[in-house]
Amino acid sequence: MNLGNELFKFDALANFVGIFITLFSLLIVIYSFGFMRQRKGMFQYYIYIILTLLASLGVVFSNNLILLIVFWGFLGLLLYLLIGFGQKERTPSTAKKAFIIIGGTDALMLLGLAFIWKIAGSLTMDKISIALNTKVAIWTYLCLAAGAFAKAGAMPFHTWVPDTAEDAPTPVTAFLPASLDKLLGIYFLARITLDIFQMNGAMNTLLMGLGSFTIIAAVMMALVQHDLKRLLGYHAVSQVGYMVLGIGTGNPIGIAGGLFHMLNNTIYKSCLFLGGGAVEKRTGTTDLDKLGGFAKIMPVTFVTFLIASLAISGVPPFNGFVSKWMVYQGIIDTSKDGSYLWILWLVAAMFGSALTLASFMKLVHAVFLGQRSKEQKAPSDNRKETSSSMLIPTVTLASLCVIFGVFAYQIPLKLFIFPSLKMTDTVFYGIWSPGLATGLIIVGIVVGIIIYLLGTVAKTRETEIFVGGEIVKEHPEMRLSGTEFYNTIKEMGFLRTIYRLAEKKVFDIYDIGKTITSGFNKVLGTLHNGVLPTYLAWCLLGMIILFFILLR
Amino acid sequence: MMKGSIIPLFVAIPLAGAFLTSFIGKKIEKLPDGLGLFTSFILFVLSLSAVRLYNIHGILTYSVGGWRPPVGIGMVLDGLTAFMLVTVNFVAFCIVIYSINYMKKFTSKWKFYTLFFLMLAGMNGVIITGDIFNLFVFLEIASVASYALVAFGTERHELEAAFKYAVMGTVGSLFILLGIAFLYGYTSTLNMADMGNILATNGINNIVLMVSVLFLMGFGLKAALVPFHAWLPDAHPSAPAPISAMLSGVLIKSLGIYAICRIFYNVIGINPVMSSMLMFLGTLSMVIGGLLALRQWDLKRLLAYSSISQVGYIILGIGLGTPLGILGGLFHLFNHSVFKSLLFLNSGAIEYSTGTRDLREMGGLAQRMPVTSTTGFVGAMSIAGIPPFSGFWSKLIIIIAAVQAGRYGYAFLAVLVTILTLAMYMKVIKYAFLGNLQEKWNKVKEIPFFMKLSMGILAFVCLVVGLVAGMAFLTGMDQTFIHRASETLLEGTRYAGIVLKEIK
Repeated sequence: MNLGNELFKFDALANFVGIFITLFSLLIVIYSFGFMRQRKGMFQYYIYIILTLLASLGVVFSNNLILLIVFWGFLGLLLYLLIGFGQKERTPSTAKKAFIIIGGTDALMLLGLAFIWKIAGSLTMDKISIALNTKVAIWTYLCLAAGAFAKAGAMPFHTWVPDTAEDAPTPVTAFLPASLDKLLGIYFLARITLDIFQMNGAMNTLLMGLGSFTIIAAVMMALVQHDLKRLLGYHAVSQVGYMVLGIGTGNPIGIAGGLFHMLNNTIYKSCLFLGGGAVEKRTGTTDLDKLGGFAKIMPVTFVTFLIASLAISGVPPFNGFVSKWMVYQGIIDTSKDGSYLWILWLVAAMFGSALTLASFMKLVHAVFLGQRSKEQKAPSDNRKETSSSMLIPTVTLASLCVIFGVFAYQIPLKLFIFPSLKMTDTVFYGIWSPGLATGLIIVGIVVGIIIYLLGTVAKTRETEIFVGGEIVKEHPEMRLSGTEFYNTIKEMGFLRTIYRLAEKKVFDIYDIGKTITSGFNKVLGTLHNGVLPTYLAWCLLGMIILFFILLR
Repeated sequence: MMKGSIIPLFVAIPLAGAFLTSFIGKKIEKLPDGLGLFTSFILFVLSLSAVRLYNIHGILTYSVGGWRPPVGIGMVLDGLTAFMLVTVNFVAFCIVIYSINYMKKFTSKWKFYTLFFLMLAGMNGVIITGDIFNLFVFLEIASVASYALVAFGTERHELEAAFKYAVMGTVGSLFILLGIAFLYGYTSTLNMADMGNILATNGINNIVLMVSVLFLMGFGLKAALVPFHAWLPDAHPSAPAPISAMLSGVLIKSLGIYAICRIFYNVIGINPVMSSMLMFLGTLSMVIGGLLALRQWDLKRLLAYSSISQVGYIILGIGLGTPLGILGGLFHLFNHSVFKSLLFLNSGAIEYSTGTRDLREMGGLAQRMPVTSTTGFVGAMSIAGIPPFSGFWSKLIIIIAAVQAGRYGYAFLAVLVTILTLAMYMKVIKYAFLGNLQEKWNKVKEIPFFMKLSMGILAFVCLVVGLVAGMAFLTGMDQTFIHRASETLLEGTRYAGIVLKEIK
């Protein structure tokens, strides 16, 4: 029994994350019944999903670092296996890349674990408390944080997320990179930041810097994507920035905001992926150039997708707004220590939010609004909503977006977030009462409808869509797909270089590693020329050096 | 005396098996398989009972021909010996099962079994002997048999590899012999326990240091430590798959690592300089082997380089000299024996079905060979150190031990090489098993039953050892049998006194 206490613990934070892990697993299984139908190896697929659920719960409830890392590493393996269910040409490479990045940072975590044993003499998580005042302690923290960052997909270990989003089956993307891996990564980051280590200012600043950078860089990449799932994948990276930023603020409101954002992000991000998957299932493509006009065909999916898009962009009254608002407050709160960096973080966070909205306008337009592309002008039997097993999860998640936004205090914050942080009450800057705001918004919409209705009574003229004086309908070769909205950004002087380098994967830690190792390889390869006398010469040389060292 | 009479059987039985096969095996077709299976099974059971005997009675000794050491040849069964015997004989047993089907494509099976058991007798001899010259003799028996086995296919590149291996192996043996001669001249005894006693009283001087270098080079060559490793990437891939598995799985460990452990810990006595030397060589092998493995496209060559890298881990762990480090090193030795044999058998299975070893020509084989791909995956995950498979635990222990000893740099390199290992095995899986099946492999068949059985056993051991180790790790690990083996090393030169007391 004593051993059980040392190995597992059930505190508020763990319970909170555990509940949502189970919920998401359930939704994904329901969704998979529809999405993965008629594919091979489904028995294995569900086994892996269940194992993933169990291992994730294992991570969350472990109180022993070794146990945690065992479950954690096992999750990387499961991720690899699950990505393998994708049917694209590049799927094996993507799976390999994801696993190497995840497995590599897991190895760094082992080093961190070894350091913790050295410093603290214990691996029971609630008994360790390390001050970040020695070099070793800082390295320990960085090693462990690397694992959390890679899992959650924060920079610089993020590159597997967009690739996975594109090449893995959609439910898998929605399940692991978009929800479970985020929950676990941020959970672990919160654990080490709040419980195991006593943070100092410099480390907090580093976290906030990484967070802000992640937000901006990933959202800029998202703006120029042409693939539905890849675009969402970059947003999955970008949103992690807010969580890291929130936890990095080091004050209660910011941390609560970070955790709340983690929860919200998993909700709307899986909703987005699942909605995108519904479109993919219907059309067989995720290329934005080939999509368009799905609002009429799949109205329910459209509404859920729209709600989730607004939530991720931080539009009130949805949940994303509340958590971002809390993160902003946390950032402003850091101004107390006298440094002016908070302005930078705040600008990054807000600007990132605006860019998110911009990229989702493009996405929603390209997929659901706009015109249907030629390839998709299919026969009329195409006109139906997706199957119910795929609708239930998206509708559930979209309604959670609304509920957690409107009743932010009453439900998620009070029940889950504040108990996890042992906070009883928090001070909010400014006046933000979601209930009132929602009321006002509803009133606004109603007034708008009334004005619209009144307006139609008046004399108006309806016409076809036209561009540059030409009616679009009459020119079938002319089509506004929406993907070109932000191409101008790509052409701006400084940004152009960055984008070009990013496309060459210069910033990809995986490719950097590849280049370095192949450099070493070339040198070593020339030394292994297969000539026996050379090999014998090394042996003798080695022995002479040993003699020299020992008998000097 | 009676209790110890199990010890010489480990040499006598494989030798008898070897000679019986060569006399009768030519005439009766099925006999070599049956005899081989029987012999190796008996050896495996005996090794298990040796562990039991050691646990009951402690160290056991046997004097060959009734001549008492230090005059006669003594044989010793202690914790480390029992541990090594189980490892070697277990892997040998699995490999014999595999060979039943695999070696069909070679003409003279009886020659194979004869050489195989000769090699096994040599390895067991090295492990159980208590006499340093006797160790050299057994080492040469095993080496010479392995030279012949590398050339078993008698193709051009196999002969070339065997030639290189023979030349370099002989150079290594020569230096070992020279070292033994010096030690004999210095201590006037060949019994290792006796020698250890005398060296302990005389203290370390230049002769001993010089002998250490000679041994380090000689046994390091047998263990394929960088820079003495260059024979291995040619020799191991060229041999037939079961022999590759035997060479990489246990030969380099019993001739190289075991001998290094025994001599440096129990005879000469470890000192800080030697310890750091071992760690340095270990880390060097780890890194260079890992980097080189990554660029190979020949599956077996990749595995061979990876063996160099993994031996580096073992030597790093053992070189640390702390209880945890030795424990980790020995545990990794056992694990590596199991999963590297498994992986070599796997490569053999692929070669058996498709006839190629080039990763670029494979692809999608998981669809045609489910058992091979599953066991291969288990082996790859074990060696890459993914929990909960066995390799994870031994690497974890080594990394923790390195950090505990304050060797942060080595710990960091060990972690980096883990990533390299993961990368190289992901490459293997991606190119061999995943992706689209090429047209020419549409008719590829899964391998026959005994090959599957053997690989299945090894993969099962990878998983079970991982789980058991996990339980042991979380609940305290004082009772495991590897722990007994590491205690033997930790006793250091006091071992001599214990063994001598038992003899007299």
